[in-house]
Amino acid sequence: MTWGYVSVFSTTKRGSTSCECEDASWVGPKGTDVGDVAGRSLRVAVADGASESLLAGRWARQLCATFGQAPNVTRSRKAFATTYLAATENWAPELERYVTERQERGAPIQWYEEPGLARGAFSTLIVMDVFRPRDGQRRWRAAALGDSCLFLVRDERLVTSFPIEDIEQFTSRPALLPSRSTDADLVMRNMAHCASEWAPGDSFYIATDALAAWFLRADQRGDRPWEILRDLETSDFGMEFEDWVNLERSRGELKDDDTTLIRIDLF
Amino acid sequence: MPGLDSLINKGSSMYSAEISRANPTCFVFLIDQSASMLDSIGGTAQRKCDVVADALNRLLSELAIKCAKEEGVRDYFHVSVIGYGASVGPALSGQLAGRDVVPLSEVAAAPARLETRMKKIPDGAGGLIDQEVKFPIWVDSVANNGTPMSGALTRAHGIVSSWLAAHPDCFPPVILNLTDGESTDGDPSPAASSVRDLTSTDGPALLFNLHVTDTATTPIVFPDSELSLPSDYARSLFRNSSMLPVGMQSYARQQGIPAQEGSRGFVFNSDMSAIVQFLDIGTRASDLR
Repeated sequence: MTWGYVSVFSTTKRGSTSCECEDASWVGPKGTDVGDVAGRSLRVAVADGASESLLAGRWARQLCATFGQAPNVTRSRKAFATTYLAATENWAPELERYVTERQERGAPIQWYEEPGLARGAFSTLIVMDVFRPRDGQRRWRAAALGDSCLFLVRDERLVTSFPIEDIEQFTSRPALLPSRSTDADLVMRNMAHCASEWAPGDSFYIATDALAAWFLRADQRGDRPWEILRDLETSDFGMEFEDWVNLERSRGELKDDDTTLIRIDLF
Repeated sequence: MPGLDSLINKGSSMYSAEISRANPTCFVFLIDQSASMLDSIGGTAQRKCDVVADALNRLLSELAIKCAKEEGVRDYFHVSVIGYGASVGPALSGQLAGRDVVPLSEVAAAPARLETRMKKIPDGAGGLIDQEVKFPIWVDSVANNGTPMSGALTRAHGIVSSWLAAHPDCFPPVILNLTDGESTDGDPSPAASSVRDLTSTDGPALLFNLHVTDTATTPIVFPDSELSLPSDYARSLFRNSSMLPVGMQSYARQQGIPAQEGSRGFVFNSDMSAIVQFLDIGTRASDLR
């Protein structure tokens, strides 16, 4: 039985190529399972690599892949921290591969890259599980660290904004997961956790910070930002996601940043 | 260029333009290379010319590291280094000699040489150990003749004007003057004022001064008053320095540097490499606390 539909939208900041994108996303067991949702549960994740760090996009993708496939990551703070530590263990070989690949193609690491590579990459992360209706219950859980956000819209109203509720909380220094392993207690202390129930007709919007800030700002001034986002990819909308993002950027409404959105419509 | 009226209407949203490859900004460094720079800096054996050359090389290095990505250094900034002493003119050495304004990626790719220096780093057991680090050199110590600071500021005015004509919506250019303050071609205040009057749609250009002297006094960083400053030269440079925008004050405080409303981009016998971190090019990488 189909109980939902997932769409993913993503575009880079102006002047960047698609391979320079430092946002990453994950949907379903394989990571790219957009479309109908029919399994026992749906896992989605969004990560936003920090632009002032090197290999941020790779780290964001690695976090999404690790959290997308690990069991129970949204169940507890401890499970989230343990999965994070597993992701960091894969980072050293990833970094080694990168350095070797640069060497092999005659473009060895330069002096200005060494401090950044030594410091490691940084990324936000939000991960969410939505569960198929069972015994009359429709549960969902989410865990997040940083300013990538989830919004739950029900009956034309924003009912959940997680982990950020106020537009003033968006800064250029969000909490970030470092690729160089850090204390699990620190991760548990900085992360946020949320669980509730969904209802037929609900929509979830999971977005990186530029779009999340746009969404929250619009909601706080009484607009209904979901009216635009739910029409994306439909014939009613009349333009591509990238064109709409560029339009909002040129109007000064949306920060020029890599921008990713996962939309989940539930039946 | 926009008028001051439109900037007044912009008010607190000034200095908020995104710095990107699509909308880069300009960093102009003015380095005093006069004969007086041969004197030692207050209370130490270091010559002033060596201290400012080091400070400038460190600033360029930190700017390149800040903008480094996998595929190279991104041109969020274009850089000009103007020396003033025997003459006023481009001061980068090596391949970049004679260039007025250089994209940061080219600066990063072509230091005149890479030196190895020792840096103290935490040893993980509460102590410090020496570690070798690469220290790129673009500018060597030079010290001869007078201090044509007004001429240098006039040159900066020309560079920034041209930049703004091509990049009217950029984050306002930053002009950093590294000097011992003793101008020999007249009062630099009118030329400094002209530089500060240059504006993008995001606000007036920012003129900062790093003042080194041979007087042994306590370093002063981003003061909000000239009362504590020890000399007329320092007071003059303070008055010629732009106020730190609110966002920069906030970044200074995050780095443990006291800064408040009224603080000026002026540093006396101290380091100014922190200003690189005052400029936003995207999400900052910081460890969890």
